[in-house]
Amino acid sequence: MKPAVSLPLAPLDRLRAEARAASWFAALGEPLIEGDLADAEAYGNALDLGSLTTRLAHDWPEAERLLKSRDWSPALWDREEALRRVLLGRAETLHGERELWTALTELTTDIGELVHGKAATAAARMGDAAKASVHVAAGAASQAVYQLAVARMAGDTASPFESKFRLFAAGRWPLGIMGSTLILF
Amino acid sequence: MTQPIIVKTVEELKDAPEEYREAVAKLVISHAVNELYGAQVFDEPAIAYAPTPYAKWLTCRVAMEEYGHHVRFKQLGVQMGIPEERMIPGTGKRPLSIFEFPLKTWEEFVAIKLLADLAEILQVEDLLHCTFHPLRNLARATMPEERFHAQFGEDFTAELIKTAEGKATLQAAIDEYFPYLPSFFGGSKSRNNEVFRKWNIKQRTNDEMRADFMTRATEVASKYGLTLPEVRQAA
Repeated sequence: MKPAVSLPLAPLDRLRAEARAASWFAALGEPLIEGDLADAEAYGNALDLGSLTTRLAHDWPEAERLLKSRDWSPALWDREEALRRVLLGRAETLHGERELWTALTELTTDIGELVHGKAATAAARMGDAAKASVHVAAGAASQAVYQLAVARMAGDTASPFESKFRLFAAGRWPLGIMGSTLILF
Repeated sequence: MTQPIIVKTVEELKDAPEEYREAVAKLVISHAVNELYGAQVFDEPAIAYAPTPYAKWLTCRVAMEEYGHHVRFKQLGVQMGIPEERMIPGTGKRPLSIFEFPLKTWEEFVAIKLLADLAEILQVEDLLHCTFHPLRNLARATMPEERFHAQFGEDFTAELIKTAEGKATLQAAIDEYFPYLPSFFGGSKSRNNEVFRKWNIKQRTNDEMRADFMTRATEVASKYGLTLPEVRQAA
């Protein structure tokens, strides 16, 4: 464990405010607009995923089918995870492992409850969502906040997690990659 | 005969008998440590083993809720004046032996959610009538999430048993993991449990809880055509 140093909380406080102001799951299934496509392209490019087209998942059953498919590409997940590990190591060096861990856990616990409620509202509004899917959506959104928090605490303000968060903040949910297509809900 | 007491707030706890305060602190520390350690050794690593994005994000949510339970218990502990160091594995109480199982596969994780989270439900249930109300209320807040985690175990069990290979792998995981569980409920002659019951902090003996767990675990396993291995039940 690294020696404890004073943890600058301002980046996490800013992110908490951004997360509270975000339109979590408000645009699920709505037609894609230019801003969505631009953020999706930026997200794919930042992870070096090659040329991707973007398409829409229209409703919860379609999203669930895609998320449960064995045809999904692990490339996106694997690259995010590799990057997260590098950034986490950097952030721990800068701030001390335990203090950072405590702050990140408190942030994700706090935001996890917020996004869970937002996902439940979206599922109730649209209908046809499996009960567990609300938890899945909350897991995806909390993970996006956690990843961005790690990146910012590592001093990286241009990570792929910025564009991923923007997609969520705009009410979308990036589901993943099938073939060469990035699917947004 | 001990005079029954009800402690409605953390503030009131200061006026409670020392034995009562120590007993409540032990429980809060135990939950804080074990919720955290379980998330670290099982839930978070399991995200990598999950076979689809659906399963991965569901596991993410479970892991975050388990970390959240630690945060809630730790916050209560801090209000009670317990040093944070005592509520973190490695610096305070030793985690329970059920966490010594080395997680290697998705099927093992499903077995853990199916059975260990059922054991956790029993522990939380026993606090639902706790005379220390802040702890009782925390148990009530935690319970729906614990039930969801056990349901997670059932849902993925139902998926895995659809194939003979999946069912066999899950059964092997249960055979390997289940023997760790009966001791989770503590010793038959536990002094701590005696004190918890004396003050109505907890309701049942360790042996009563263990017997109830064995019944319920057998029921849930047999519901999916699975069996539990014979284990020595007295801890």
